[in-house]
Amino acid sequence: MQLEESQRLLLDESQVTPDGQRVDTMTINMGPQHPSTHGVLRLILTLDGETVVKAVPDIGFLHTGIEKTAENKTYFQALVVTDRMDYLAPLSNNLGYSLAVEQLLGVEIPPKAQIARVALAELQRLASHLVWLGTHALDLGAQSMFLYAFREREMLLDIFELCSGVRLMTSYIMPGGLQADLPPGFDAKVREFLAIFPDRLREYHDLLTYNQLFIDRTKNVAPLNAADCIALGASGPVLRASGVAWDTRKAFPYSSYEKFDFAIPVGTNGDVYDRYLVRMLEMEQSANIVRQALDSMPEGRWNVADPKIIPPPKWAVATNMEALIHHFKLYTEGYRPPRGEVYQRIESPKGEIGFYVVSDGSSRPYRMHVRAPSFGNLQALPKMIEGQLLSDVVAAIGSIDIVLGEVDR
Amino acid sequence: MSEPELAPTLAARTAALVRDRLGDAPIEVVEYRGEMTIILPVEHIVPVCQMLRDAPDLRYDFLADLTAVDWEDREPRYDVVYHLLSMQTRAVVRLKVRVGAEGEDHPTVPTVTGVWPAANWCEREVYDLFGIVFTDHPDMRRILMPDDWTSHPLRKDYPLTGITLPEPHWGGQVPLGSPVSPTLYRQTLRTPGGIPGEIDPQAESTRQSVEGQGDQEH
Repeated sequence: MQLEESQRLLLDESQVTPDGQRVDTMTINMGPQHPSTHGVLRLILTLDGETVVKAVPDIGFLHTGIEKTAENKTYFQALVVTDRMDYLAPLSNNLGYSLAVEQLLGVEIPPKAQIARVALAELQRLASHLVWLGTHALDLGAQSMFLYAFREREMLLDIFELCSGVRLMTSYIMPGGLQADLPPGFDAKVREFLAIFPDRLREYHDLLTYNQLFIDRTKNVAPLNAADCIALGASGPVLRASGVAWDTRKAFPYSSYEKFDFAIPVGTNGDVYDRYLVRMLEMEQSANIVRQALDSMPEGRWNVADPKIIPPPKWAVATNMEALIHHFKLYTEGYRPPRGEVYQRIESPKGEIGFYVVSDGSSRPYRMHVRAPSFGNLQALPKMIEGQLLSDVVAAIGSIDIVLGEVDR
Repeated sequence: MSEPELAPTLAARTAALVRDRLGDAPIEVVEYRGEMTIILPVEHIVPVCQMLRDAPDLRYDFLADLTAVDWEDREPRYDVVYHLLSMQTRAVVRLKVRVGAEGEDHPTVPTVTGVWPAANWCEREVYDLFGIVFTDHPDMRRILMPDDWTSHPLRKDYPLTGITLPEPHWGGQVPLGSPVSPTLYRQTLRTPGGIPGEIDPQAESTRQSVEGQGDQEH
């Protein structure tokens, strides 16, 4: 039906096609309590039949003021709030924050801590990707996948628990090194996982990669090309799936990543299936990196030998006056990095996470801003799903692997 | 990929390019811990960003981050910070503009969404948390805080907790159109109603109705 100018003014923009035809659209609300939005994401979708004409994400439901909180804690204390941003990859957040603070302080970390950090960050990447794999497949109806993926993740959480005593919010990587030495049995436990993981990964491939139902739901769904990814600030597997071989671990190596031999998997179409494949291949590479890290793990200290940054051991506090003073100063006041600012980027499981830390010379970060990868990736979501079917929105959300904890911070 | 040694050279070339472009305008180049910061006047930010994105040997195609810092006692009060990255040449630079004259509640900065669409949400976040307005932004709304929030939490003068705010800042607690009693002015973040001992009948009825609704749901 051709519309008169006066009639058109009464309609919403999305209800008129470029050539002046009226479309009967419906605006619906998805989330924030929808199970497949992976947290508290709300989408306002304008539909024409089953096709999404317009999508507007509404975020902020999980805003907890983490940046504000960090400004009011010492550098030492602010570490624990970084765990809570991307709660599926706390060790990656710890690593990014620690590297930023170390750069402000200008300290060099011993080789053992660097290699151990790589091993832990890659185990964390595996754990994060396993949660993504399970939930993404569950969204698309493959329920058993969820159980398998969580079975393997449980082994990884056991490893983190062995190291730090905590399964999730470990805070194990800290400015200056690690909280404690790698425990006895760490090597054996990780090797046990690495021995079974390739077989399990093959099992996942059998279940999903060549599964016609899965391919139908994911291939050519919600594609995004490389130019749009870069323009909208998408990074990580979303960017690599569209064919850009960009990985911060290779481009700006940190924590001795330059010593490791690994490949960057890239996709071609940038659709849901490619994002799936990129992450699956990344898991293979991560397991490989962990193996290399275990093989080359040096002996020596796991933290810097500076009592101004690292608390002295308990036995020293009990027997040594100097150690007692350092302990007291560190826990009451903390350390004071010189005035300045740094931006430290690392490759988290979701993409580029950046820590912008500003020091005014006091013992608290004057400003800590986090460039969250999910924030950029979510911004690209409307571009992916406009023109797609409503049922594919769920597949698209799963494929960008958002964690609302870091989107909202 | 190019050698990592190139990064400082590229940053130096960036600074030279910006100097060249701005001529007499006052710019400041700071290097700290191997990272280069270029501080420039706010009116030049959009043309400079455009130029850096399109410069053939630099190509800053990725806006990694955009945020702000509040230096409460300084004038101008705010730094707006841009972290630029080139995925083609691996060049990295930080741009900074300073805004916020004395007594200016909502300083303005021209938007860079025209250069990188990624700036859209970042600028909304800066507006939401700092109150810096980005002119010509396509969608200048709050993004993290509720739409009816009345202040900007990341400002240094915004207290962390235990506050009495000047007006009802959580829209849902006062029914639309009803007169607001002075007791309600003193509500804290999560507790509807006023301070014990200063019960105003009208505020009390509002409080009860709010709490009553909650009870029914459970």
